[in-house]
Amino acid sequence: MSGRRIADRGRIDRNRTISFSFDGKRYSGHPGDTLASALLAQGVTLFGRSFKYHRPRGVLTAGIDEPNALVTVLRGKKRDANIPATQLEIYDGLVAESQNRFPSLAFDVGAANQPAGKVFSAGFYYKTFMGPVVGPLRGTRFWMFCEWFIRRAAGLGRADHEPETARYQRMNAYCDMLVVGSGPAGLAAARAAAEQGKRVIVTELDPVAGGSAKWSGETIAGKPAAEWAAGEAEALADMDNVRLLTRTHVWGYYDGNTLAALERVGDHQPVATPGAPHQRHWVIRADTVVLATGAFERPIVFPGNDRPGVMLAGAAQRYAAEFGVLPGKRIAIFTNNDTAYAAAAELASAGATIAAIVDTRQVISAGARELAERAGGELLLGQAVSATSGGKELSGITVQQLDPVTGSASGAKRSISVDCLAMSGGWSPAIHLASQAGAAPKWNDDLQAFLPPDPAQPWLGAGAFSGDTNTADALRNGRNAGLKAAGGRASRAQVAKVEAPTLDPFPAPVFEIRTADGKGKALVDHQLDVTAEDVRLAHREGFLSVEHLKRYTTLGMATDQGKTSNVPGLAIMAEARGISIPETGTTRFRPPFAPVALGALAAERTGDVSPDRLTPMHDWHIERGAEMMPAGLWHRPRIYALPGETLEQAYVREAKTVRAGVGMVDVSTLGKIAVQGPDAAEFLDRVYTNKFSTLPVGKARYGLMLREDGLVLDDGTTWRLGETDFLMTTTTAAAGKVMQHLECLLDVHWPGLKVALTSVSDQWAGAAISGPDSRRVLERVVKGTKVDNETLPFMGIVYGEFDGAPVMICRLSFSGELAYEVYCGAGHGTHVWEALMAAGEPFGILPYGMEALGTLRIEKGHVTGAEIDGRVTARDLYLDWMLSKKKPFVGSAMMDREGLADEERIRLVGLIALDGQPLGGGAHIVEDNSRAEPNESIGHVTAFCYSPVLAKYIALALVRGGKARHGQRAFVADPLRNRYGPVEIVSHHFFDPEGSRMHG
Amino acid sequence: MVERESPLGTAYKPGRHGNVADAAGVTLSETRPGSIVEIVAWPGTEKAALAAIKSVTGLALPDKPRAGVVKSGKAGLGFAPRRWLVIDDKEGLAAELKSAIGIETGAVNDLSHGRTVIRVAGPRAEWVLSKLFAVDFSVDAFPVSNGCSTSHHEIFAQIQRTGRNQFDVIVFRSFARAFFTTLCHAAEETGYDVA
Amino acid sequence: MRISCPYCGQRDVVEFTYQGDATVERPDPASIDQNAWNAFVYDRANPAGRHRELWQHSGGCRAHLVVERDTVNHVIHSVAFAGEKQSPKTASKRKSPSRRKAAS
Repeated sequence: MSGRRIADRGRIDRNRTISFSFDGKRYSGHPGDTLASALLAQGVTLFGRSFKYHRPRGVLTAGIDEPNALVTVLRGKKRDANIPATQLEIYDGLVAESQNRFPSLAFDVGAANQPAGKVFSAGFYYKTFMGPVVGPLRGTRFWMFCEWFIRRAAGLGRADHEPETARYQRMNAYCDMLVVGSGPAGLAAARAAAEQGKRVIVTELDPVAGGSAKWSGETIAGKPAAEWAAGEAEALADMDNVRLLTRTHVWGYYDGNTLAALERVGDHQPVATPGAPHQRHWVIRADTVVLATGAFERPIVFPGNDRPGVMLAGAAQRYAAEFGVLPGKRIAIFTNNDTAYAAAAELASAGATIAAIVDTRQVISAGARELAERAGGELLLGQAVSATSGGKELSGITVQQLDPVTGSASGAKRSISVDCLAMSGGWSPAIHLASQAGAAPKWNDDLQAFLPPDPAQPWLGAGAFSGDTNTADALRNGRNAGLKAAGGRASRAQVAKVEAPTLDPFPAPVFEIRTADGKGKALVDHQLDVTAEDVRLAHREGFLSVEHLKRYTTLGMATDQGKTSNVPGLAIMAEARGISIPETGTTRFRPPFAPVALGALAAERTGDVSPDRLTPMHDWHIERGAEMMPAGLWHRPRIYALPGETLEQAYVREAKTVRAGVGMVDVSTLGKIAVQGPDAAEFLDRVYTNKFSTLPVGKARYGLMLREDGLVLDDGTTWRLGETDFLMTTTTAAAGKVMQHLECLLDVHWPGLKVALTSVSDQWAGAAISGPDSRRVLERVVKGTKVDNETLPFMGIVYGEFDGAPVMICRLSFSGELAYEVYCGAGHGTHVWEALMAAGEPFGILPYGMEALGTLRIEKGHVTGAEIDGRVTARDLYLDWMLSKKKPFVGSAMMDREGLADEERIRLVGLIALDGQPLGGGAHIVEDNSRAEPNESIGHVTAFCYSPVLAKYIALALVRGGKARHGQRAFVADPLRNRYGPVEIVSHHFFDPEGSRMHG
Repeated sequence: MVERESPLGTAYKPGRHGNVADAAGVTLSETRPGSIVEIVAWPGTEKAALAAIKSVTGLALPDKPRAGVVKSGKAGLGFAPRRWLVIDDKEGLAAELKSAIGIETGAVNDLSHGRTVIRVAGPRAEWVLSKLFAVDFSVDAFPVSNGCSTSHHEIFAQIQRTGRNQFDVIVFRSFARAFFTTLCHAAEETGYDVA
Repeated sequence: MRISCPYCGQRDVVEFTYQGDATVERPDPASIDQNAWNAFVYDRANPAGRHRELWQHSGGCRAHLVVERDTVNHVIHSVAFAGEKQSPKTASKRKSPSRRKAAS
């Protein structure tokens, strides 16, 4: 154990030792240690290199606000980058490495950027990489040329390119009250509401609840504060109505009091629990939120304030009290307020020597003076630290008199030899979530800090978050927030007694120490290397507003989002502009409060994120070697290829089989909607362009639906199963859209109609059996009905049974052949399908896929979603014969508008390739074959295939003028696929235009 | 009658899975009832429809949103305005309900093949379902026999609490395998049995 | 954003589908007044502030709802079944948390 480890304090377990590595070197620590505390305990001061200048950096904080000590954790080949060492719990076998250094942390070539600091000042990239006006690197090309080098030199951790191996999960949660933060205020709020029986969720970003009680050294209810907090947390965790989430930070506050939190479930474990996520993304809906997120301490801006060994006073106190580590042996304090005196006393009592307490104020409170006496060391009032010395660790500080008017340090320089400087520039309430949820924060002159805005959503605040400056106030306000959130009122009853020094709660308004020579970098934003001079440069160059300041200097950007730097940056800009800080304004905080892995948001939705929608015969298709293709969420067979067959060979064989004999295709995916009720027929008359009230029971009819604007919505057949009972089918792709359209009409516009719509798509398995032999196949297998032309005419419906399974058969044809659609209960789908295959065996029946289905329908000129693309009218598709003139229907009033009735619109035609080459979907149709310049498009190909019956490559297309061009010659132009060639424009009815085959 | 094929197919793997260190947090099963029937009433005929359901099935469904009733071997659930589901071990219930509920009272649809009922039972049922659905499953907000209509991304589901620690999730048959796979994955953390 | 469905209770907005402006009136089906149809299909105000919108609880009970929503801050003032839009008394009386004023 090194001399930095204190024997007796902190929440670490000294009985167990953990071994880990940092930058390839082995170290040890104890359970309870963070990487930062464990390394500090072993005398490590250097944690990383800064963003632009590659300056050596140590730890500045002890928590989530850390800008400097970011590390990458390696898990196999996976790299989790930019993790604050101050938050990372060590575990056996942890492998961490520092970032932004080359070749090593101790020797870094990028540090050569330091003398070039003037060059890398604010707006450097904007100014430098504007590129010449002409030439190969003109404009932004110069930036693109330089970018690779810059990205290597500047930046944070490096991501890997490996697939994610860790699991992330999402969890939905509901509660009466969410308490964010488990310091004294949060614990009191949670306790008060929980005792009222409210459902409470408490989140704590650290592994252990307690917040400041863990290190304050105060006494609550007669116990050391840490012990009191542990007891409270245990009591809460034991209550059934409370969920205490540690290692969890709430990072987003959204509308409807929905909050997002990230729980680090497995980050601290050497081996993940099987099935457990690495991190859990919580979405919490809370009736009320209590924000008890505490406050972040601010650094003071002075030259050399980023040297390793310079840290926040609260952090130094925390390392000693919570982790049993002395951040230095000989420590100086530099402060503008009283809180650092408590740190001084704690560090002294833990064994450090306090060399000096440097305070910018001339006068301090009696409480502070008492703590200073306990701490020992010189008390230097009205003075300031104006420089630091040392290389990779601090060796000393320079102290000068501070002019209270100008804020400059001047006069005799005094050097004090220290290895740690604990500084405090006051505290900024952690108002991030309140800012996300509400309006602009409010400046408080006494606290020199922004306080939360008025709530725009139901939340209450307590503790340091809302400006409480002592633990007793935090307990009282926390308790009252809990009571109010529980629907009660604030109580006058006593809260637990707090024993703590009485201190002046207000800091001096000192943010920056300027020196006469102006030498040395005074860092405002440690993470992005933004100096006080950069802020003034932005001011001189006219970037005055805070939003411009942020973007020009990058102040407050990156992983820490300026938790330590925002207010000092604003203060410097305010001073430069000669206005107050509230007049300067502040940027609105946006989610996330702290970085969130994209994996956590994706949760389990990785890889193919769509659920597979399977037909009842899916496994049969797979067993038969079908190549599947997606159709929306559905998986449908594309072809059932024989060994060695190409796609075209397979579908041509399948299509030929249908035309010559019999084939069968799975049509279970068609949308099916039960339309039932006394007004069902009337409803269908209103939504279809043609009449359905005249359809006899036991018959089907092809129907066309328009949208309100008169364009085509969808087509399909609807079957009348009973007087008031219809079964509507839709195209596979439009099923959801049509259902929504019909529901809207009924719900919103015609609530008086007694019609029920029910999705029965999944109730029925469907097999379309097509080809001249299809009737003979049916006859072999069906029981209980005849299927001859008289019993089952075209568009007729009969009921029967296949090997004990009830079926419904409708004589419909999409292929142009004699064809039937056989429907049965989905659970009988495979049974019925196999019965048809067996019955068809003597006829050489084959299953066919989507390609053959498409080929057969293109040959017949039937339209599908490829043509019904939301831009076509019924006339465009030559379906105007379906537009009833006897009744109004949806779209009837709008479909005759001038632009929609124009004969010169693009309309449905057939194309035949005259060069014997395949046509491509989306190819344009042009009148002139010149390829040099773009020709005016007169239309495009919507669907194409090789037609076995014509022995030609054909296509359906939408072409200007449509029918009027039949017999004309044109060209396809498909520059993407480099396909140009002559085509003949013909009727879209390529095959059997009279329909004699399907009626036979 | 021909036996109804389960849609779960290759996704159905009986036995213990996931975190096997402790007792299984949930048991997952397909209940395979004989009948799943959806009933829709017209505005004003709700009471008549519920009376008819009661006369056929003995299930006294309250006329309240999301209310249901659970009995041995059968259950009923209101899942949308004027809409109920009746699930029964008995086959052929749709025809009986259809004759009891005339078209003047409402519409009846047999969904026995079209819906799949997945049962999630065990002490961690609320936890596992909360990973997939943005619904408050706590027993105060979601009492036994009550239900809800919701969705997990594209997968629509009706869920009924059929016991203190038991939920029946009713999904479209075509999504059943995908949903069951997702559910198994979500249950790995607590360990699960497939029964 | 969360919407309080009168049937299902409060649900996340992802369960709902926006179905357009609830303030437009569909003309009589037999009407051939092109201006009336044009207004119904195309003319839309785009108010910053309170607006009446149609939302379908497509991932839930599938009812169409008239949602009175502030387009500026997403505060929802009322929700009612669309079919009952003529009788405002059926509007959801339940106060959503987002309407409750924080008590601090």
